[in-house]
Amino acid sequence: MAFGSDRSRFTDIDFSGKRAVEDKDIGPLVKTIMTRCIHCTRCIRFASEVAGVDDLGTTGRGNDMQVGTYVEKMFMSELSGNIIDLCPVGALTSKPYSFTARPWEIRKIDSIDVLDAIGSNIIVSTRTGEVMRIVPRVNEEINEEWLADKSRFAYDGLKRQRLVTPMIRDCNGELKPVDWEAALLTVAKVVKGAGSSIGAIAGGLADAEVLVAVKDLLNKLGSEALCTEHTFPLDGSGTDLRSSYLLNNKIVGAEEADLILLVGTNPRFEAPLLNSRLRKAWVHNELNVAVIGPKVDLRYPYEHLGDNPEILQNILCEEHVFSNKWKSAKKPLLIIGSDTLERPDGAAILAAAQSLAAKTCPEKSWKVLNILHKIASQTKFGEGNLKVLLLLGADDCSINKSDLPKDCFVIYQGHHGDYGASIADAILPGAAYTEKQATYVNTEGRAQETLVAVSPPGRAREDWKIIRALSEIVGTKLPYDNLNEIRDRLDQVAPHLTKYGYAEEANYFKQAEQLAKKTQAKLDSSAPIDVKIKELQDYFMTDSISRASPTMAKCVQAVLKQKQSKY
Amino acid sequence: MASPLLRTRALSKLPLHIKWVCSNISTSAVRHADPSIKNDVALLNPGETDISPVTGIPEDFVKERRVRIYEPAKNCMQSGTNNIGHWQMEFDTKERWENPLMGWCSTGDPLSNMNVEFSTKEEAIEFCEKNGWQYYIHESKLQKKFKPKSYGINFAWNKRTRVSTNYILEQYLAQYLRQGQVRFLAKN
Repeated sequence: MAFGSDRSRFTDIDFSGKRAVEDKDIGPLVKTIMTRCIHCTRCIRFASEVAGVDDLGTTGRGNDMQVGTYVEKMFMSELSGNIIDLCPVGALTSKPYSFTARPWEIRKIDSIDVLDAIGSNIIVSTRTGEVMRIVPRVNEEINEEWLADKSRFAYDGLKRQRLVTPMIRDCNGELKPVDWEAALLTVAKVVKGAGSSIGAIAGGLADAEVLVAVKDLLNKLGSEALCTEHTFPLDGSGTDLRSSYLLNNKIVGAEEADLILLVGTNPRFEAPLLNSRLRKAWVHNELNVAVIGPKVDLRYPYEHLGDNPEILQNILCEEHVFSNKWKSAKKPLLIIGSDTLERPDGAAILAAAQSLAAKTCPEKSWKVLNILHKIASQTKFGEGNLKVLLLLGADDCSINKSDLPKDCFVIYQGHHGDYGASIADAILPGAAYTEKQATYVNTEGRAQETLVAVSPPGRAREDWKIIRALSEIVGTKLPYDNLNEIRDRLDQVAPHLTKYGYAEEANYFKQAEQLAKKTQAKLDSSAPIDVKIKELQDYFMTDSISRASPTMAKCVQAVLKQKQSKY
Repeated sequence: MASPLLRTRALSKLPLHIKWVCSNISTSAVRHADPSIKNDVALLNPGETDISPVTGIPEDFVKERRVRIYEPAKNCMQSGTNNIGHWQMEFDTKERWENPLMGWCSTGDPLSNMNVEFSTKEEAIEFCEKNGWQYYIHESKLQKKFKPKSYGINFAWNKRTRVSTNYILEQYLAQYLRQGQVRFLAKN
């Protein structure tokens, strides 16, 4: 007995058993095992200080203390997944990932998220050709240590609705699986026959490599008709000067601002991590925010100026009450949503914004004008009597079969069987962002590359390789055979595309403004400025990957159910 | 057959004469007659020459693979930083599949399990060049800007940093702040 008894000195005098806490249901993303909770209140602090959603709190004292939502309700935040990372004991874990894999079985691959325009850095965990989970990777310039829910949980959409084999529509109007040889020969025959009357529309998930390959192919065939699904006003300098389509002051720069005017954007759902930065600045840096557009919930108070586009003109002419505040601000920012620029009077809005930005002269390195995009690869490059139309993952219903000539042959190249594939005559299966090493440019103009985490399913191939193979059969061979060679071509087209991790500064603000003054477009005061994603339920399913994800579908259901609840 | 040069690579820091002493201990009878070893210079100047012909790695593994040299980021679930601050290399991912017999993960790529750490980027580059691998470098900015923090701001009466679970009160306060009525509010 020299070292004391080998039994515990603890006696359960009340014979009440060990303390146990009932698990809470806080939605389809976060699983709670509340017995593990040590009441560190990190999740509560994250919810109230970073996400700005005061749904979590504590009840009871001493032994009876519990962390929870008071009444059973969903944790209604677009950043809710981050509390999983915060929890030191695993009381909060990922519901979709729980019990699916063990940490020693998985391989971690550093990559980039493409489901919003922020380009968050992520780690993709895989096991045997399957993506098991996605967690954030620290990058202080972009996402800090956070990740938005769509980027974190939409990965199960990568396993469903996939295009795994080339398909050709037969005489009965049904898509029939064929092998690559047959598909490429058929497509090449049609492309050859069409000559220069071929066009291409690129969707939001297309990478820079395939965009360059398609543009080269089209140009070789004598066509200039490559456009993006989401349009951008081409009046004035259009997309020629980078300053007129980028978030020029960078994501980090938003934290230093003292006045922000948001025009037709809902950063909370279009770029949740930018919004968390804005909220951080609102809390710690006395930032004031004003909004032109619909009244949306940003989780910090703001001044609503109305939804008439003319307000922008009024501020510019100093006829608006707000113009005094704008003038006195030391570091003002103007953030315009890319949706707003898709309006018929988008060019006029951009011109007014450029004039307003040019009029305010803060310190030299400060960039007032900022454009916030919604999708990963939009920061890039009309259509006539087309015979062949190539859809590069264009799934946002921007094109209707009835808008096209009757004999137009539609080729869809992409990874999901979504809207684009349903109207296609031929389908070429491509790779999703976890399956290729590809370049994506985020809303600040920062080029980043995804890495191969798993190989593409079935017969799917990397996108630029498909275009390269097609070009050879068509007879206009593209001069690159491997990744290094196509990266050299990217470098030729735009050198900043291969400077990974680095955001090249945009310039020529004055010139862009002068060119924009020439625009003929007029502000349309009859059409109020609107945003597409207004509420949490609209946030979860916005592209072909998240639309195929069962977890995202559950989130939409849970939010709708919560909205019905009286709590 | 084990190549003696493989062993001398591990001893490359030793003076030349010691190397030869070591290799003389080898029991391999055909050592001196090995015709596949042409790159004798590798022995004399390891660092500067391409040792890929003698490392035993298949030629297509050397030519086709791309090595990524990077600084691992901090694990965002933990605050420890002792396990970062070095450079690492990794090869591009090759296909993996589920073994039909046991359901285990299978791969045909032994290089994917290679985990080498370097204290500087240059060391990693030198190692890749020596082995004849194509490499590229991912620089990342992991440095966090230092921000002074104070506990007191949690209780500041006129700042938005006040920690309160009452969001509505917070909103009213912000509204009063905007309208310049804070002075009035404070007096009463």
